[in-house]
Amino acid sequence: MFRYTKEFSLGLTLATLAFVAVACSAAAKNEPFFGKTTPPEGNVLRYVTGDEPESIDPPVSSGQPEARIYMALYEGLVEYHPKTLEPIPAIAERWDINNDSSEFIFHLRQNARWSNGDPITAQDFVYTMRRALSPEQASRNAYLAYHIRYSEAYNSGAVFVKDPNTNEFLLEKDFADPVQAVSEPLSQKTINSPDEEYRATAAAPQPNSDTAFHRFMHSPPRLTLPGSEKARDKILAANPKLQAAVRGKELVAVRGEDLGVEAIDDYTVRISLSLPAPFFSGLLAHQLFRFVPRKAIEKHGARWTDPANIVTCGPFKLKHWKPYHELAVERDPMYWDAASVRLDGIHFYPLLDLATIMNLYKVGDVDATLNHSVPNAWLDVVTPKKDYMDGAEAAISYININVTKPPMNNIRVRRAFAMAIDKVTYSKARRVTKPLFGFTPEGIFNGYPQLKVDAFNPEQARKLLGEAGFPVTKKGDGSYECRNFPLDKVEFIFNTSSNNKILAEFMQAQWTQNLGITVPLRSMEFKTFMVVRSQLEYQGFSIGIWGADYMDPYTFLSLFSTADGVNGSGWFEPKYVDMLDQANRTLDKAKRFELLAQAEKYLVEAQPVIPLVTYSVNFMKKPYVKGMYPNAGSLYPWKFVYIERDPEKWDYGIPSMAE
Amino acid sequence: MLRFIIRRLLVTIPTILVVITITWGLIRLAPGNFYTGEKRLPPAIEKNIREKYGLDKPWHEQYGRTMWGMVRHLDFGTSLKYEGQSVNAIIARSLPVSATVGILAYLLALLVGITFGSIAALKQNSRWDYGSMALAMLGISVPNFVLGPILVLLFSLSLYWLPPSRWNGFPSKNLILPVLTLSAIYMAYIARLTRAGMLEVLRSDYIRTARSKGLSERHVVVRHALRGGLMPVVSFTGPALAFLLTGTVVVERLFALPGLGNYFIQASLNRDEPLILGIVAFIAIMLLTMNLLVDIAYAYLDPRIRY
Repeated sequence: MFRYTKEFSLGLTLATLAFVAVACSAAAKNEPFFGKTTPPEGNVLRYVTGDEPESIDPPVSSGQPEARIYMALYEGLVEYHPKTLEPIPAIAERWDINNDSSEFIFHLRQNARWSNGDPITAQDFVYTMRRALSPEQASRNAYLAYHIRYSEAYNSGAVFVKDPNTNEFLLEKDFADPVQAVSEPLSQKTINSPDEEYRATAAAPQPNSDTAFHRFMHSPPRLTLPGSEKARDKILAANPKLQAAVRGKELVAVRGEDLGVEAIDDYTVRISLSLPAPFFSGLLAHQLFRFVPRKAIEKHGARWTDPANIVTCGPFKLKHWKPYHELAVERDPMYWDAASVRLDGIHFYPLLDLATIMNLYKVGDVDATLNHSVPNAWLDVVTPKKDYMDGAEAAISYININVTKPPMNNIRVRRAFAMAIDKVTYSKARRVTKPLFGFTPEGIFNGYPQLKVDAFNPEQARKLLGEAGFPVTKKGDGSYECRNFPLDKVEFIFNTSSNNKILAEFMQAQWTQNLGITVPLRSMEFKTFMVVRSQLEYQGFSIGIWGADYMDPYTFLSLFSTADGVNGSGWFEPKYVDMLDQANRTLDKAKRFELLAQAEKYLVEAQPVIPLVTYSVNFMKKPYVKGMYPNAGSLYPWKFVYIERDPEKWDYGIPSMAE
Repeated sequence: MLRFIIRRLLVTIPTILVVITITWGLIRLAPGNFYTGEKRLPPAIEKNIREKYGLDKPWHEQYGRTMWGMVRHLDFGTSLKYEGQSVNAIIARSLPVSATVGILAYLLALLVGITFGSIAALKQNSRWDYGSMALAMLGISVPNFVLGPILVLLFSLSLYWLPPSRWNGFPSKNLILPVLTLSAIYMAYIARLTRAGMLEVLRSDYIRTARSKGLSERHVVVRHALRGGLMPVVSFTGPALAFLLTGTVVVERLFALPGLGNYFIQASLNRDEPLILGIVAFIAIMLLTMNLLVDIAYAYLDPRIRY
């Protein structure tokens, strides 16, 4: 049908054009950077932050895309260090920690201002916390503040029990299980002398300790019961002693005023915790703890974040917000450190499609992209470039095992499956990961004794399975089979994504190759998956990914310190919880890390999880963007970021992470 | 005619209510909630959220409240995911984006499709016919998620002529690639439908009559043949326009356009009930309206049809 015609010549032209294009991109292989490197005309950074922000009200969203926007608009008592993410002074200029890390005193700087010029005070922080934790606010992040005294009780609408005759409250210790009783932290003991409490850290004289509220904090914890009658009756029915004690007493709702957050004066905040938490000051840079403006919120209600009403306290203020298009912020002259803010503004682009993000980056329409934005297929082209950013991320992937159902309730079977996976090979195949042998990410927590033993041992795995009653035999062609293993009792579930599919198929192949067991795969949509996993409605294996909430191994290890929640495996042992608690009470950092590592070892040996890999941040940043480091959380304190116009001073490669 | 329109409108209302009810039920059947995330929430926090959004109420109460707001005030409520943003405002904001791209793609498809389709029919079995029908076959076979990236690769990443994505208002260079990508398949369909329709009409008696009257060929084609030949095109492009106006997921995602289609897919993934219901209702209304318009256009184009 096709003669040599005009149509054909048109086709030929198109083909030539395509060839030229491919040739051009082939020539680009020798260029040091990926795409254009012309700095933007204005002094404004264009950054792809990921999904569309749900809200710009700090306690609302839990995601990283929003966290980065909050970091431009709001500040907390502390801010993340641009490289290590350790807490650095922000609205608080310094802080003291008591001797067992159960009480913190923050000294606020006196020149901190809201974007409308009002001073930021200690009372603002108290308001921020009472709002963030109120049941009406219903913040998804509230659990992060559960270390603060009575915060969980307040957030869950619990009640105290008061004797109407004596006005005394029932105390927790009188009804606690004596086996589980642990010694009280300093924050709950009677104060003898404040000097003794703060001996180790305090540089300046301590503020007045003798407030009525402080004495309330330093008293034994009150008993709290659920606010809903149904839940309360259930607990009381199970505990006759408690039921007798509560009868005829008055139930008093836990209020925001009972929270362990106190404004001692206009510029001093004291926070009392219910347990020692050495990492707590680092947690305070999280959005949940960033200051929100009381006056604006009380005046405008839910509409306070509208551009006309919003009041912020960060280095930048809101310029405009066009959902699913861009959110623009501009320098705030009221910011206490405005002199060191180097950008005039930032445009955050909410983009989801990775190819779209990379296209915009290549043509120079954006200056930096979010973590994990380089698709696997692009890695060959992109990784040799000098603007590709690599670095360990505080995020891991692992396999959860449902330990409540046979045959996976047998530790030997679990170990066998763990030992049959060659993580080193898997990690190499994935390229942007490192193999993981413990349950905390590699190379992030300085001084933490990482578990480094690779358990990969197919021989031993087959032996263990045999001991568990599932003998593995070698077939004529050299492959293995395990005849009596109940294949209908296991599966590998994951939420649908190409990356997860690669992972699941790799694991399936490993088990087939080394154990002769081909575990069926089942993929499901994300939200369905989350429900199935947390309710343990699966059998066998499920995929798990966890990113740090704060820079401490505890954020990973605590996944298994509750039976429900994010656990997802059904494995729960009080001994493990106790080991973590002992570690957190230890003041010496090295000793604490050692104790945490022991707990980690205990966890990995019990094998409710099979750790797989630590992620890499894997993103792009133009060489002229300076002050942005591939840190472990992909969180950037924006005031340090700037655009360098002198090519001599550009980043040729990953910027040094040394301080 | 008027009677017909009124009757059709009366059927439309219960249809939309049924569509919304089924959608509402399907959302309930899907596991997970708008607040379900990577990190499972402690029960106390989940309880707070459910109380805040009235999810702890019995289902008939929730259904009643949703329907009442819709019927009474034409108000779809507030998005669950995007706190404080009303669904009506989201639709009002994203519709113009989808509509701009959609109408441009529609016009382009009509222009190119009808032109090439007519030429093919008039010069049947010529190289023009084969050439344009081969291109049309290509347009139908290459899905837009393949065509889009190829166009981007060529014109943005290699030649640096056009921006690869993002919205930049109307008119702007940013519109060229999405409009091309979106219109390709419609262009191809319209060309084929036009050709088929025209061929049939050109052989009919009334065209022969027109020619034998001694009318000029131009007059015969434009006044008589085209009018009849476009009937299949009309029944295709009516609903197609509704889909084009309300946004197409793939193109909006690929070119990062803040349109309705993008919101629709996100709302479903987020289990954002009010937003899903709002967009579904809106698309249903658009579709039914377009079908009605198609029927009216039939009466105008074909003198044989009377309601």
